[in-house]
Amino acid sequence: MERILDKGRLGALVAALADWTVLAPALQDGLWAYRPVAGGEASLTLGHPNTVQPPKGQSFPQREVFFTFDETPDGQPRLTPLVPRPAPRVVFGVRPCDGQGLTHLDQVFGEEAPDAYYQARRGTLAYVGLACNSPPSRHCFCTCVGGSPFGEAGLDVLMIDLSDRYLVRALTPVGEALMTAGQGVLTEAGAQDRAEAQQRRLAALAHPQRAVAAPQAVPERLKAGFGSALWERLAQPCIGCGICTFLCPTCHCFDINDEVASQSPVCGSRVRTWDSCQFPDFTMHTSGHNPRPDLGARLRQRVSHKFQYYFENHGVFQCTGCGRCITACPVGIDIVTVVNQVAAEAAAMQPADS
Amino acid sequence: MEGNSYLPQLARVVDIHEEVPGERAIKTFRLEFIDGDGFSHKCGQCAMLSIFGRGESMISIASSPLVHGYKQFSIMRAGRVTSAFHELAVGALVGIRGPFGNSFPVNDWHGKHLVFIGGGCGLAPIWPVIQTAVTKREDFGDITVFYGGRSPRDIMYRSELEKLRGAAEVYLSVDSPEDGWEEFCGFVPANLMEKEPSPEDAIAITCGPPAMIKFVIKNLHALGFQDEQIYTTVENKMKCGIGKCGRCNLGKDYVCTKGPVYSWADLKELPQEY
Ligand SMILES: Cc1cc2nc3c(=O)[nH]c(=O)nc-3n(C[C@H](O)[C@H](O)[C@H](O)COP(=O)(O)OP(=O)(O)OC[C@H]3O[C@@H](n4cnc5c(N)ncnc54)[C@H](O)[C@@H]3O)c2cc1C
Ligand code: FES
Repeated sequence: MERILDKGRLGALVAALADWTVLAPALQDGLWAYRPVAGGEASLTLGHPNTVQPPKGQSFPQREVFFTFDETPDGQPRLTPLVPRPAPRVVFGVRPCDGQGLTHLDQVFGEEAPDAYYQARRGTLAYVGLACNSPPSRHCFCTCVGGSPFGEAGLDVLMIDLSDRYLVRALTPVGEALMTAGQGVLTEAGAQDRAEAQQRRLAALAHPQRAVAAPQAVPERLKAGFGSALWERLAQPCIGCGICTFLCPTCHCFDINDEVASQSPVCGSRVRTWDSCQFPDFTMHTSGHNPRPDLGARLRQRVSHKFQYYFENHGVFQCTGCGRCITACPVGIDIVTVVNQVAAEAAAMQPADS
Repeated sequence: MEGNSYLPQLARVVDIHEEVPGERAIKTFRLEFIDGDGFSHKCGQCAMLSIFGRGESMISIASSPLVHGYKQFSIMRAGRVTSAFHELAVGALVGIRGPFGNSFPVNDWHGKHLVFIGGGCGLAPIWPVIQTAVTKREDFGDITVFYGGRSPRDIMYRSELEKLRGAAEVYLSVDSPEDGWEEFCGFVPANLMEKEPSPEDAIAITCGPPAMIKFVIKNLHALGFQDEQIYTTVENKMKCGIGKCGRCNLGKDYVCTKGPVYSWADLKELPQEY
């Protein structure tokens, strides 16, 4: 299903989606973030380059209570699970790199033992993407990691900006349902609209981006470069703040802890919070022994997880090229540079015929 | 609740046995699920035990899968959660979820000689295999158990080890000599070299402090054991147990799902981040 939405009628579309809570990027204190929007907001526009945080928190919040615990009068522990039952929500303005990121979260939280909390949130979420006519950040590199500025993965609807209007394309049954709900605001798309969208797509693909060199060779080269001294050298400026992982659309690592409100009687909650492979505690044993004892080992874990380990398991990179970790790093560590340098060194050390 | 991997079941502590005293004390806890039989497990699998208000710890299931009705865990006092376990009294209710991880391929070892080499707290993870082997004694060849602690007081499962004699050769050791100790004095890998078990038709299973494992494997190689004949376990920090929290990996493998049991042939191919 393809339709046209006049840019001025975005607010009317939101109003038509009465069965959903709608979130869209809003500029607050100079930062773009997903916020709930009320229907009929005439001023609603999708003017963001990309949001500071990816939309992953919608299905995987930074802090989440698994269950609460307390004691019955006879002193027995009593657990109350808090699996959420959220009402339907739809997130507007999701860039294709972040849509791609959602597919990786879906993979991780869906495989082996599915994660009841993630699944419960994800099941009522819909994502309306916004194609990138030009790279929203100078650090974008989606095209070399299997993505596209017009990519559709992970999204239910894709919107393509045609200056005064959007071409709106349903990609899933949920997307069809959204567009059906909004049909009073949408108009038929014609051949001219489709041709224009195609032109935008070709122009977007032709836009120069930063690039991971020879991406198909990267997993093998990182494997060969595991022992490289470059890891330690490139990680030297790292202050271990973890911002790279907190802003990443695919990082999923978390901690589980008990938060205690009262020790007697015992009362509190077991809580999941985002964690980071960049923190020394992440892998440190109680004895103090740490299998990843230094910054180099921790940078290697972050980069190799995305460009080697995940690839070995799933055949795709776990990096979507959004560039957030590069933009936000306070000391200028750049994942593209790191991958390229380690891979180049490993390639140079391989015998010429292999 | 159905399908919620993070929600523990409740189990009652029905017995507590003090194995090792002191700063690195070890106690063995016998737990019974309060609702039904709980879950069944295989040799080498682990469970997340919790004390509400303290947190969770991954602990090897030390009882044999052939035993029904309860599970045993030997817990060394280390930090927050394990210390809280050491304060518990019989009757306490704790949380348990699992089982997690792969298992020792015990069924592939029928007819083989089994050589167990444990040190410190490392007898617990291989204890279910030892129990299974002596229970199904006729399925296996010779059974040899090497085990050592720092001092005689640090030998866990002392009376159970004595009961093994007859079904198995048991070689105990302590790191430094002490009055009244009549068995080997020295480190476990040295005891192994002295007794020289044959690699012929044999499987070696080792578990213990990382430094011990390193020398055990070196010595097993010297005795002629091939990488495929050597099995060990990896204990990386774990939180979820189901391959999601991201901290226990060796390269592409999450140890909580692909491990903790590895043949040395497989383990040596992975990044040595343990
Ligand atoms: C596969 C495997 C098998 C194992 N088998 C055994 C075994 O059979 N026997 C054995 O003794 N050990 C075993 N271990 C080791 C055991 O898991 C650790 O010794 C244990 O987890 C240490 O926990 P702790 O709470 O005592 O230590 P700590 O270092 O104090 O804490 C560990 C965890 O407790 C929680 N915690 C700590 N401090 C706080 C705080 N301030 N606020 C909130 N939460 C907190 C956190 O969740 C933390 O990660 C095994 C480990 C693995 C991975
Ligand atoms: S313990 Fe969470 S991934 Fe292994």
